[in-house]
Amino acid sequence: MSYYIRLALRYLWGRKLRTILTTLAIAFGTMLIFGMNGLVPAVEAAYRQQLMQAASQVDLTITGETRSSFPETALEVVRGTPGVAHASGSLVRPVVVPPADAPLLPDGSRLGTIVLSGIDPETAPQVRRFEVVSGRLLQPGDRNVLVVSESLARKASLEPGDRLRLPSATGVATFEIVGVIAGEPGAVSDEVYTPLPVAQALLNQPGRINTIEALVVPGSDARAVREAALARLGSGFKLGENQVGSELQAAVEMGEVAFNLFGVLTLAMGGFIIFNTFRTVVVERRRDIGMLRAVGASRRAVIGLILTESLLQGVVGTAAGLCGGYFLALGMGAIVGPIWSQALRLSLGGPVFKPATYVLAIGLGIGVTLVAGLWPAVSAGRVTPLEALRPAEGEASWKPARRRAAFGLALVVVAVLGLASGNLNLASLGAVLFLAGLVLVGPVLVRPIAGVFGRLLELVLAQEGRIAEGNLARQPGRAAITASAMTIGLAILVALGGMTTSLESGLFRYIDQSLGADYLLMPHSMVLGGGNVGAGPELAEAVRSVPGIAEVTTVRLAMGRIGDTDVQTIGIDPESYPRVAGLEFSAGEPEEAFAALAEGRALIANGIFSAQSRLQVGEELTLQTPEGPKTYRVAGIGMDFLNAKLATVYVSQENLARDLHETSDILLMADRAADADPAEVRAQLERIVAQYPAFSLLSGDEMREEYKQMYGMAMRLLHLLMVTLAIPSLIALMNTLGINVLERTREIGVLRAVGSTRRQVQRMIVGESLLLSALGTAFGLLGGLWLGYVLVGALNATGFKMSYFFPYSGIVLAVAVGLVFGVIAALLPARRAARLDLLAALRYE
Amino acid sequence: MSVRCALLGLLAQRPRHGYELHAAFEALVGGAENWDVSPAQVYSTLARLKEAGLVREEGLEQEGGPEKVIHAITPAGRRELEAWFSTPVRAEHQRDEFFVKLMLCLATGEVDPMTVIYAQRASLYQELHAVTTQRARADPRSELAHILLLDQAAMHLEADLRWLDMVEARLDEVRRQPLPEPQPRPRGRPRRAR
Amino acid sequence: MAIVETKELTKVYGRGDAAVTALRKVDLRVEPGEFVAVMGPSGCGKSTLLHLVGGLDRPTSGRVALNGQDLSELSDDALTRLRRREIGFVFQFYNLIPVLKAAENVALPLVLDGVSPRKAQSQAQLWLERVGLSDRTDHRPDELSGGQQQRVAIARALASEPALILADEPTGNLDSRAGDEIATLLRRVVDEWKRTVLMVTHDPRIAAYADRIIFLKDGTVVDEARLVGGNDGAEKLVRQRMEDL
Repeated sequence: MSYYIRLALRYLWGRKLRTILTTLAIAFGTMLIFGMNGLVPAVEAAYRQQLMQAASQVDLTITGETRSSFPETALEVVRGTPGVAHASGSLVRPVVVPPADAPLLPDGSRLGTIVLSGIDPETAPQVRRFEVVSGRLLQPGDRNVLVVSESLARKASLEPGDRLRLPSATGVATFEIVGVIAGEPGAVSDEVYTPLPVAQALLNQPGRINTIEALVVPGSDARAVREAALARLGSGFKLGENQVGSELQAAVEMGEVAFNLFGVLTLAMGGFIIFNTFRTVVVERRRDIGMLRAVGASRRAVIGLILTESLLQGVVGTAAGLCGGYFLALGMGAIVGPIWSQALRLSLGGPVFKPATYVLAIGLGIGVTLVAGLWPAVSAGRVTPLEALRPAEGEASWKPARRRAAFGLALVVVAVLGLASGNLNLASLGAVLFLAGLVLVGPVLVRPIAGVFGRLLELVLAQEGRIAEGNLARQPGRAAITASAMTIGLAILVALGGMTTSLESGLFRYIDQSLGADYLLMPHSMVLGGGNVGAGPELAEAVRSVPGIAEVTTVRLAMGRIGDTDVQTIGIDPESYPRVAGLEFSAGEPEEAFAALAEGRALIANGIFSAQSRLQVGEELTLQTPEGPKTYRVAGIGMDFLNAKLATVYVSQENLARDLHETSDILLMADRAADADPAEVRAQLERIVAQYPAFSLLSGDEMREEYKQMYGMAMRLLHLLMVTLAIPSLIALMNTLGINVLERTREIGVLRAVGSTRRQVQRMIVGESLLLSALGTAFGLLGGLWLGYVLVGALNATGFKMSYFFPYSGIVLAVAVGLVFGVIAALLPARRAARLDLLAALRYE
Repeated sequence: MSVRCALLGLLAQRPRHGYELHAAFEALVGGAENWDVSPAQVYSTLARLKEAGLVREEGLEQEGGPEKVIHAITPAGRRELEAWFSTPVRAEHQRDEFFVKLMLCLATGEVDPMTVIYAQRASLYQELHAVTTQRARADPRSELAHILLLDQAAMHLEADLRWLDMVEARLDEVRRQPLPEPQPRPRGRPRRAR
Repeated sequence: MAIVETKELTKVYGRGDAAVTALRKVDLRVEPGEFVAVMGPSGCGKSTLLHLVGGLDRPTSGRVALNGQDLSELSDDALTRLRRREIGFVFQFYNLIPVLKAAENVALPLVLDGVSPRKAQSQAQLWLERVGLSDRTDHRPDELSGGQQQRVAIARALASEPALILADEPTGNLDSRAGDEIATLLRRVVDEWKRTVLMVTHDPRIAAYADRIIFLKDGTVVDEARLVGGNDGAEKLVRQRMEDL
């Protein structure tokens, strides 16, 4: 076996450039997949560690079905249930510590999000065991005091006697730490405990709790008790604790899928290039292979040899990809981390590479090379020993079989279904299938298309053009596979181009729309549900009273549930909101929709939610609230930038207060009067915000710029990625043109012998290459445009509403690149063809 | 005739006595097995050359043995040698016994012409085999002249073999054509010898 | 027992109107230690015959036996094994693996047969020495002349110690001097190393090195000539020719 490896290595070494570039394609794909899948768990871990509540060791945990709070009276209901020994109510919410007041962490960042639990000092110890590490537990009558978990205390170097400032509905409150308790086994969250009434005041939820924990009487059937308690409570409650941050996780997962899509496409491209390269290799080495067979290599040995070669590339490429992926994850973490901790108040750990990630990346990297090498390897195995003796006709025959074309068409159809499924995983599979189908269908279309382009080419290169065209039409299969290298490359480029352009323009429009206000009083965490503490009406009043402020509108947030979907329910003021901010409507009339919100129980759904639930304007929905089910009518479908990724509905603040008991403002937007002095207004606002550490003041312009820059950078990265992807497709084209020359050595010799000059031969090859790349470009453009359109559609289907943006500049670039590549790729083979020793070529067999 | 010219040439190299001349000729043709010329033949040829004034006796050599006559070339002999050098050697291919045999075989129909061809071919191959064997045994560092001589033989044999192949391939066509017959001549004209 | 024996060997290419009969009921026997040349005009089926004998192709009808083993009874794998052990091939275009050094090329059949690399390498060294290329073992094929490449190919054919060497126009790509060298080497293969050589050629001069020449025409054996060795014949013949002058 070592001999095979040596032989394979020698062959690979014999064409270093090709080998390196082919391997690079695999490395890129693996890098993307591995890196992204390593980064995502880090993000998830950040959530889990900082936002998830500890799993309680109690017998019974009841929360509101919609994750919203409920009146304390429910506690009495639970206590009255037979079999319940003790019960205690608490109000648990993640809270973002204002950066200015947050304690420093060892790594230099500041403490971000913590979980605040308002507990009843009397009943809580009855249901949960609190083990004091230092200081004391909470006592009845405590006011602004905190007990912190041991993990947090260690992390932020807190000890009894320290002070911690937390945001409150009325600004900020200072707490004294009185004790440190051991977390429950397995609990990793940064939790702080304060007396329930204090928490209720802090979070503007007087008389409300969101979690009931209880122990059952020893010996009784815990399950029966749970069900009895739930039954007594009526609708609106569920068992189990709230999963804070699950909605964020969904957003992260979507990012993961998107990057996986890129990775899969890159790998598909790499696979195709490997396929292409080895097809060339098998043609080039036909006689070698025949000889091997003649001197006693079995069919399996030959297949093994080719597979060993592709496997070697796969292994090296994958290994390089893993290293690259590790650094990619590290680098991305370093770039994204600060943005995250700033925008979301979450600190990001290092990349986490789970065994499954290794399996995925290695499996895909090596799997793709193996699969891609399989067909050429099998065709190499079919080379008979006679090929060694027979003059090589050297045709990689790939006749335009109808059956193959039909199969290709079927693939395309399946691909379309996958793309239309609305599932991004299926869509990425569909994209790959689509490209494969395109390659299979290609040969049937070569002749007509070559005819059209051939006529164009004849205008430039009269004689050589005709010969070039003839060559293509005679070997449509070969032409198609050559062009398909181009097709695949360009299709991926154009598709990605279309996708990124659409993403970019979509994002920018959202940013403009939803951050249209002159001033924003933003919570520290960008995602509204992510632990921000709202403000009471006093803040809005204060802002409104600033001279020079023309208009103020506020946004409130509660969690509701419609059907099986948890939805962010955003309360807006239907009158002022459209004047200051606004939504991007995809269905329904803005005026009517906002008017409907003002009139009664109506809502505006965002794209992601309407896509998930296939909503129609005018449809009636049942919103689960603590007050029981309420019927809302869909008045329109629209979305803003901040809530693009989560299922969200907009209702009037009036209804939000009535049905979901949420009255605190979580985001304020204000417009300046036309004649006001910006500096003066800003100074005033800053003074107000200073009292509300949970908020920071941003000017809309600054904000927009900041975001646009951030996304611009991400987009530039994507563009860079696309360019790197283009290089391997150049190689593929060069490879196939190389075979072209090789297969026709003798023919070229004859052309030279009957009087073609070197220049003419060169022009013929270049002309052929131009035709091929024109063909490939045409296919690639069509395929890519369509693919991009469908991918955008697939993204839309998952909820990120954006319209397909036609990548004009990308197309111009693609055409230019296609033709330039065509010429560049032809130069080397053309030179080789022209330099052919005439006699040797004629003798070539 | 060529033995005569060969002896003239050897004498042009330097004067020699008869025995030496015989040895030199043998060495030139690569040994007695290739072209066996008897000493008597050499002496009689020398006598004829002297008669024609192309060679003269130049003196005697005596080293204890019997005295030997030394022969040298005359100016007339040199002229004769020059003429020989400037005349190409004519190959007389038309006079081929095998060809005559084959034609007669076709004319009479007594024997299958193929048998004749195959027999000839086998014989030619046998010759070629012998030549190549001998050639393989020769040392190219000292016996190049000999090798060239063998090559000449081999190439003639190859040519004959190729020609035989051609005859074989076109035999059917030849058969379809009339055999060469003497042309009926008008009477009274004298027969002109070719 | 004959090392090669064919019975009514027939090979037809194509079907129907396009069918071409390359070989028609050829009976052939090659005894161990013979050097047999197959000659005939192009298209006479001589290469086809070699392919069938080498198990590179399957006959349409009739049979080929090597050392009494009927090739038609063998599976593809068994045929491959047979080629590996019993037959050495020499091709017109040498067919060396370009990325392997001379010694590695020679060792290839041994390695394919599972011989340990070290043993294969020493065996390769030995055969390269025998064919007179001991100073070229580390050269790549493109660093060797045509004649040298063909000698490497012959060493490769011999490396696995097969009883039968099949050579397909081994001098077809060489000038006459290199051709003679190769033919002489094949002669040594028979005389010195006691192998059997079956060679296809269209060059009479090369065929004359053989012990026996088989003439093919239109797919059938039309004649054969047995060439007796020895010096006497040659001397006599050459003398005859000289005297003709």
